Amino acid sequence: MSGTLLLAKAEISRLRRNKRYLIFTVALPVMFYLIFGKQNANGYGVSFKAFYMVGMASFGAFSGAFNNNTIRISQERKDGWIRQLRLTPLPANGYVVAKILASMATTVPSIVVVFLLGRFYGGVQMPIWKWIVCALAIWIGTLIFAALAVALGYKLDPDSVQPVAIVVFFFFSIFGGLWFPLSGALQKFGEFTPTYQIVKISTDVIGQGSIALINVIGVVVWFVIFVALATLAVRSTAETV
Amino acid sequence: MSQYETGYGASGNNGGGSGYGGDTAQDSRDGYASTSGHSTVASYSYGASRGGAPVVSFENVSKYYGRLKAVDGLTLDLRAGETTALLGPNGAGKSTSLDMLLALRKPTSGKIQMFGSDPYTGVKSGRVGAMLQSGGLMPEVTVRELVTLVTGLHPRPEPVETTLKRAGIAQFADQRVDRLSGGQTQRVRFALAICGQSELIVLDEPTTAMDVETRRLFWSSMKEEVAEGRTLLFATHYLEEADQAADRILVINRGRLLADGTPAEIKARAGAKRISFRLDEVNEPFLLGLPGLVNLEVRHDIVQIQSSDSDATLYAVLDAGYRPRDIEVTSLGLEQAFLAITAEDDAANGNAHAGEAI
Repeated sequence: MSGTLLLAKAEISRLRRNKRYLIFTVALPVMFYLIFGKQNANGYGVSFKAFYMVGMASFGAFSGAFNNNTIRISQERKDGWIRQLRLTPLPANGYVVAKILASMATTVPSIVVVFLLGRFYGGVQMPIWKWIVCALAIWIGTLIFAALAVALGYKLDPDSVQPVAIVVFFFFSIFGGLWFPLSGALQKFGEFTPTYQIVKISTDVIGQGSIALINVIGVVVWFVIFVALATLAVRSTAETV
Repeated sequence: MSQYETGYGASGNNGGGSGYGGDTAQDSRDGYASTSGHSTVASYSYGASRGGAPVVSFENVSKYYGRLKAVDGLTLDLRAGETTALLGPNGAGKSTSLDMLLALRKPTSGKIQMFGSDPYTGVKSGRVGAMLQSGGLMPEVTVRELVTLVTGLHPRPEPVETTLKRAGIAQFADQRVDRLSGGQTQRVRFALAICGQSELIVLDEPTTAMDVETRRLFWSSMKEEVAEGRTLLFATHYLEEADQAADRILVINRGRLLADGTPAEIKARAGAKRISFRLDEVNEPFLLGLPGLVNLEVRHDIVQIQSSDSDATLYAVLDAGYRPRDIEVTSLGLEQAFLAITAEDDAANGNAHAGEAI
């Protein structure tokens, strides 16, 4: 395990230096919130300020755990870095676990910064436990996308993974309602996405102080599906990685 | 079939691998004698003085990619402290063999052992350091950071500064990994192979992309590693390197082990000398029966003989009353030996089964 943690630490320091990563996970959500955050509207029974805070924090975390990992894993597989690691005493699952741990660590700033912005710029006020539950929901939700990133990164080559990652990212962002609250037919469809479920868990906490079981089940089901896909992808490429 | 078995037998059929170990000189003699004739399979006992369990053993290992046979019944042992070169043309199965040894691929059949356990356990125990052609580096970090990271994964690490110095990368240790030249990258990969106190070092084409000077430096640092008692296995297509660096050479072609011996033995195997002369009345059946003859070519009145014992061959010609003209005896390098061995195999491949039945 110590080897895995060491690699996770190295991954985190790599990400901290990466400007692109900071732009997508922190700067972009902050900018969007500054521009659109103060609308006088509602979403899922809470103020737009609160909804958009949850949406942008999820957007930043999702982007950090998914976009970045998908492309890097694919590239590092092609370059032979994963293969190189397999020749070291690092445990077989060390690379994937380190990637996920690093994503979990590096999505914290997106969530914290956007939440601070929501509190002090948007004026969102709620009890401290709600802040914590919302932050945790989004943070744990990033695991789902880290798992999907592993599946796609192992299965697709760098050339084809980029467009696929962009399509998946926009699909889940738009139909999950990260940028605007869903309603009507769009909501009926979007309800099934993991991004919607994560946002809905948070807005339910903010608005009603409760969580709908159906959304928790949804998140768990997506997580299980993506972990299964990731496991299959890693296994099926075992001899070529 | 029995010849075939005998040929490989010296290295693997006897369970404990006594074919190399505490065996007598007689065994080596036998191994040698059986191959100095016209047989297509070579085997030499090696390092009769070395003992103990093998560091690595392949037991009848085969690997298929679909219907393609990449490795075909490979049996061999590596003993502690040996420097062994794996020599073969492209597609001979060198990389696949090393991949299987390092637990990157699973053999289709047969058994590989490393330090008495399976390859995966061996690799994860930190007792092996490896550098493969396909291995890559983590981008966006400095050389020192990368070496420090991989060193940290080892249970018995070498000091980072020692590794940087040995691999000759200290002077650019603070540069970013993704901004190095090909030769520099290769040296960093080498550093990752030696950053732990490994007992076995496996290198696939280690000096590719290195210039002559770097290559010289590389082998001198490699000799330090070996002097500390490490076992070294390297694949190469630079025959000169195999000749100079290795105690033992394994020649493989089409996934099969064709020859196994010291560089000198390999050269002898192929007919270490080439004898050429002119002869007016060529009697081919007589020439084919010459002692030490490995290969014969006759063009008009020019006779070319590859021989494992040029003196004996030439005396026999003279003793038979022939008086050849323009006699030349030249030494074959390892390269010609290697080409002769693989060419022989390629030619024999059409009737491989007949060959086995000798």
